[in-house]
Amino acid sequence: MEQTAAVKTEKEIGNGMSRKEAQKIREQHMAKEELVYLRRKRMAEKVWPFFRFLILFGLCFVILYPLIFMISSAFRDPADMSDPTVMWIPRHLSIQPIKDVLKVMNYGPTVLNTLLLNIGCSLVQVITCALTGYGFARFKFKGKNLLFGIVIMMILVPSQIILIPQYMQFRYFDIFGLIKLITGDTLTLTDTPWTMYLPALTANGIRAGLMILIFRQFFRGLPKELEDAAYLDGCGPLRTFLQIMAPNARSSFLTVFLFSVVWYWNDYYVSSSFFTNNETIAMMVKNLNTQLNLFLFNDATVQVSVREKIVWLEAGCLLSITPILVMYVFLQKYFTEGIERSGLVA
Amino acid sequence: MKIPYERRKSLYGYGFIAIWLVGTIKWFLIPLITSLIYSFQNVTPETGGPVATWAGISNYKYAFMSDPNYRELLVQVLKETFETAPLIIVFSLFIAVILNQKFRGRTFARAVFFLPVIIATGPVYNIINGDLKTGGNSDASQFSTMFKTDLVKELLTFLGIYGISEDLTAQIETLTTNVFSLVWSSGIQILIFLAALQNIPPSAKEAAQMEGATAWEYFWKIILPYVSPMILANLIFTIIDSFTSPTNAVMARVLEVQNDWQYGLAAAMAWTYFAIVLAAIGLVTMIINHFVYYEVE
Repeated sequence: MEQTAAVKTEKEIGNGMSRKEAQKIREQHMAKEELVYLRRKRMAEKVWPFFRFLILFGLCFVILYPLIFMISSAFRDPADMSDPTVMWIPRHLSIQPIKDVLKVMNYGPTVLNTLLLNIGCSLVQVITCALTGYGFARFKFKGKNLLFGIVIMMILVPSQIILIPQYMQFRYFDIFGLIKLITGDTLTLTDTPWTMYLPALTANGIRAGLMILIFRQFFRGLPKELEDAAYLDGCGPLRTFLQIMAPNARSSFLTVFLFSVVWYWNDYYVSSSFFTNNETIAMMVKNLNTQLNLFLFNDATVQVSVREKIVWLEAGCLLSITPILVMYVFLQKYFTEGIERSGLVA
Repeated sequence: MKIPYERRKSLYGYGFIAIWLVGTIKWFLIPLITSLIYSFQNVTPETGGPVATWAGISNYKYAFMSDPNYRELLVQVLKETFETAPLIIVFSLFIAVILNQKFRGRTFARAVFFLPVIIATGPVYNIINGDLKTGGNSDASQFSTMFKTDLVKELLTFLGIYGISEDLTAQIETLTTNVFSLVWSSGIQILIFLAALQNIPPSAKEAAQMEGATAWEYFWKIILPYVSPMILANLIFTIIDSFTSPTNAVMARVLEVQNDWQYGLAAAMAWTYFAIVLAAIGLVTMIINHFVYYEVE
């Protein structure tokens, strides 16, 4: 009788008991191991968020550190670089370096040129890669495995191996001898945007192999019933692709497109072997040091130490990543969630 | 005329890949074969096009026997890659598991961790790295020594790990000195792991909870088997990425030779390098495949 008064059984309380009381009663019936397990779990749940915060905060700092450094040094007076008291917050704010670099990089036209090239190339490459990926995903034909092996090779072979012969092809451009037959000479396509457009147009641009692979995986993951219904209704394969499959792949298209823009934006290796002028932002940044020496510090009266030059270099970096950073901030969702849906993991 | 359905479908298949096929022959296969031929030739650029004379395997011989740096760089790059690749995998899996949990500010944390994907492939990364070094007071490696010198050693001694084995200590020390480059080169890997983690069926988690698995057991018994195919994929991705990046030492050397107009030699170097990379990837795949768990066989 006394015992039941001290701790009421579940039946006596009915549904009116608080969660704590219910928990207490449940724990009474548990074995010792279970109690230990629960206690440990509760402890971990309290301590872990703290550690998690520490780890994430530290690593986020490591990642953002260069960006903070970039912003901090881009807006300071060059003299501040040699001032030991200045660590993060500049003593003399100045937008002169930014202005200088804007001029040296010919920023407006260069950005416009780069964006046009990037978006154009990415757009056609996404479309052609999607077509190819769909072909590999849904059709059976002879030599398919061999051809898909070539796609894998495209991912594996470093672009350095094929760049020189590619350069030769653009320098003396010809389509199986036809152009020479008609005009008497081959075309010179180097230094024209065609060097980027033509490979992109034929699904062979920057990282095209990877893009084909992603699309193939994605289309393989879509249910087959979708197309079967379309076929029964009398749709041809191309119309099925355009009207049924492509709309379903919208977010995947967007993700691949965004990544493609980023890859083209960052590429300086391929473009610098086809262009002699610094026509894209990436090439401009790559050769920023030379450019600065040429236009800003060419004068013998100007004395700039290596450390002071950092101000201009970082200003250039900041300018060159700003457009892509803005894009990332607004479309972050598609970068991070798109991959999960694009079926890369399937 | 009526073409049977199966035939017609396979023809459509060729139709879909036709554009790519034409492009690949022109922009990939022909250059690939040309460069393989170059590697057996002495190529000199002339105004009317490249002039080539047959050279046999002398380019390969030169690359390995006489070139002052090639062999050393090769060994160095291989060693570096095989040291850092496992670190990147472990690290990105760890981060992916954390980022997969629910907590406030998760979106922000994810955005920050994928930020390197946007920036690291570009030329900006090199400048940042160089500037941080010449900047002196704000050197990236110095920044990581903050971790290294005291904190980590103390922590290791506290945990009793320090000094157990030389190798382990060395591994942990490379980890801490390279926090910067490690974090900056594991963006895509984290992304892929995260996607794999989200594919783990909830039923598996529920079952584990019913059985009273601790987080530790849950990681080893549930998470690891489920993401193991992705470990292989990530490892291969990491290896390819570091082998083909223009910033790696062998590639830089190839470029140097190329700019010297020695196309034949450059091609020979690139091809031997590529062969070694392929062999390495094949080996890794073979070894790892033994331990991978595939849900659907």
